[in-house]
Amino acid sequence: MTILAHSDYRNGEQHETEVVVVGTGAGGAVVGAELAEAGRDVLFVEEGGYHPTSSFNPYLTESLPRLYRDAGGTIIMGRPPIPYAEGRCVGGGTVVNGGMAWRPPEEVLTEWESITGQPDLGARAMEPLFNRVEEIIHAKPQHPASIGEDNRLLEEGARRLGWQYAHNLRAQDRCVGSNQCVTGCPTGAKQSTLVSYMPRALSRGARCLTEVRVQRLWIEGGRCVGVIGKAINPRTREEDIDVRVRAKAVVVACGAVQTPFLLLRHRLGRPSRQLGKNFLCHPNTKVVAIYPHDIYAWQGVSQGGQIREFRDEGILMAENAVPPGTAAAQIPFLGEEAFELMKRYNAMAMTGVLVEDSHAGTVTRSFGAPMAKYSITPYDHDRFLRGVRYLATLHFEMGAEKVILPFSNFHVANGVDDLAQIERTQRSRSTIELFTVHMMGTCRMGSRPRHSVVNLNGELWDLPGCYVADASLFPTAVGVNPQVTIMALATRVAQRLQLPN
Amino acid sequence: MVLGPVLQRHPDDGWTLAVPMKVGARMHRVLRRLADAILPPSPRTETTVDEVTGHALVCLRYMPRSSAMIFLLGMRLLNWSPLWRLRGLRPLTALPTDAARRHLVGITTSRWLPVRLLMYGPLGLFMSSYFDQDYVHRELSYAPAPFVAERIELRRKWIEGQEPGVDEEIHHPPVGVP
Repeated sequence: MTILAHSDYRNGEQHETEVVVVGTGAGGAVVGAELAEAGRDVLFVEEGGYHPTSSFNPYLTESLPRLYRDAGGTIIMGRPPIPYAEGRCVGGGTVVNGGMAWRPPEEVLTEWESITGQPDLGARAMEPLFNRVEEIIHAKPQHPASIGEDNRLLEEGARRLGWQYAHNLRAQDRCVGSNQCVTGCPTGAKQSTLVSYMPRALSRGARCLTEVRVQRLWIEGGRCVGVIGKAINPRTREEDIDVRVRAKAVVVACGAVQTPFLLLRHRLGRPSRQLGKNFLCHPNTKVVAIYPHDIYAWQGVSQGGQIREFRDEGILMAENAVPPGTAAAQIPFLGEEAFELMKRYNAMAMTGVLVEDSHAGTVTRSFGAPMAKYSITPYDHDRFLRGVRYLATLHFEMGAEKVILPFSNFHVANGVDDLAQIERTQRSRSTIELFTVHMMGTCRMGSRPRHSVVNLNGELWDLPGCYVADASLFPTAVGVNPQVTIMALATRVAQRLQLPN
Repeated sequence: MVLGPVLQRHPDDGWTLAVPMKVGARMHRVLRRLADAILPPSPRTETTVDEVTGHALVCLRYMPRSSAMIFLLGMRLLNWSPLWRLRGLRPLTALPTDAARRHLVGITTSRWLPVRLLMYGPLGLFMSSYFDQDYVHRELSYAPAPFVAERIELRRKWIEGQEPGVDEEIHHPPVGVP
């Protein structure tokens, strides 16, 4: 198993391989593993470090800088601004996500089929890909021993209100509900690519350069022939060692923000001018209920199920327990008042509302960093208000004392009657507090160069030899957790990748 | 219970945490004042504010330089917010902690989005660091390490063929409810 880090590099060193894959998350690890298993020489380049399961712990001060891009300090600008989280380590976002493994709804794939004019993206054609991915990541519902009290509250509340509740399929093998999904699964049960696809690739001879940030593509004669990057000194975070990788094909899988950021450096995507456009992000908001008794939401799996009653409106609701550090950063109080509220942490049920995008934003380059811009529409805002009201109603139905609402001008509802104030007080889109973890769509795939950035094989229309294999490919939002869709598309890219003779 | 090599606060896996970003003494004072005003006054140790400020400076190392600079500029703006909000002539560093905190609460609940936006960074950095400390966890009765260790052991047994039974289920019903 070859995994190199900063201390292993010498300035100006060059690696040779058949396929270089930039990124090791849901897209990169899958495409690399599939190619390695097909006998290709694969080399991964990962900006983050390699952190095995045994190094994971429940402490945010350790896991934020280790596992998250910019130590978790990333934000989408717009109305309102949306903080977002993205993995930066071997395994990428799959190391810190909730592990949900939903296929996209059939109507989404039908729409993709219609947009691209290709039946290959339809539900029937994609079926074998989904089957393969689900088998590898063990997508299945949770064992009862892993379900915590907060999930039961949500399920029982949905039952009382007559709402449809579905147990989540999750990428997990014998998950016991340690509830540390966001700080790296310490039991090894969550089938992130760190423990699923990457070991498959490495066991077939793939190599992985960690702590290397790819700065540009290596282009010769109009063809992409590698990548040029710099290794990052772990002490100073300075990019101080030149590293080059020459390859017959390059797969860029850095996520829907970093992938266009890299490609925009070369002014690619010119036929359609769509590179960096169509940025989608499934904005979420948080509803925290405080119950009269302790429910210990930090014990038991995160997001064991979802309320899918309002999926036709593009609204999903789920439990989503986070560590006290994350919870405290999202509550609207300071000082003693914050601590008084946080003393009830064990009685908190942390839940969220996800709204499917009805509008797209952009990703551009600005002062050497990516700049994501996205604003919710009045229609999205209306759905958020409804979703918050639904969830708060459920919590009061289940006996919550009070509910912390995600509005900067209306924080606490003490009873169901208070919820009537939501519509009255929330006229502006600026007062809702959102966050997201699902970034998609900035290098949309299609069958015509004038309407898409990459072709149906995932290869850039205007740069042969350069492929994209991550959530950037999505022509539209998927409306569910995107991990399985990314993996299925990455499998497809691997199957279709052509190397020059 | 198995704690073994896992779940340590500083796992010995060869990974190096970055050194804190260097800032001038004046900026250091601003960050300390903001942390002091934002964090709960209790529980604390003598080094709480320094540790939380130090962690913020470590996190800045992991951001693009432009983002870190914008963050620090925002902290300067926050420090002088009493002036530009027409609430006084002195910066937060010259105010008593309670007065600085009251002022920051006003910013957090401001009707103007760009003003509220200034608080996103310091709230996220300082609160996530403070509420990650063991002495704070104890006050919250939050003890993830023993629970996770027990779950690791449970999974180990499962892998060996012993599927979890009803006894291993997680239940915390309201008092008086079976």
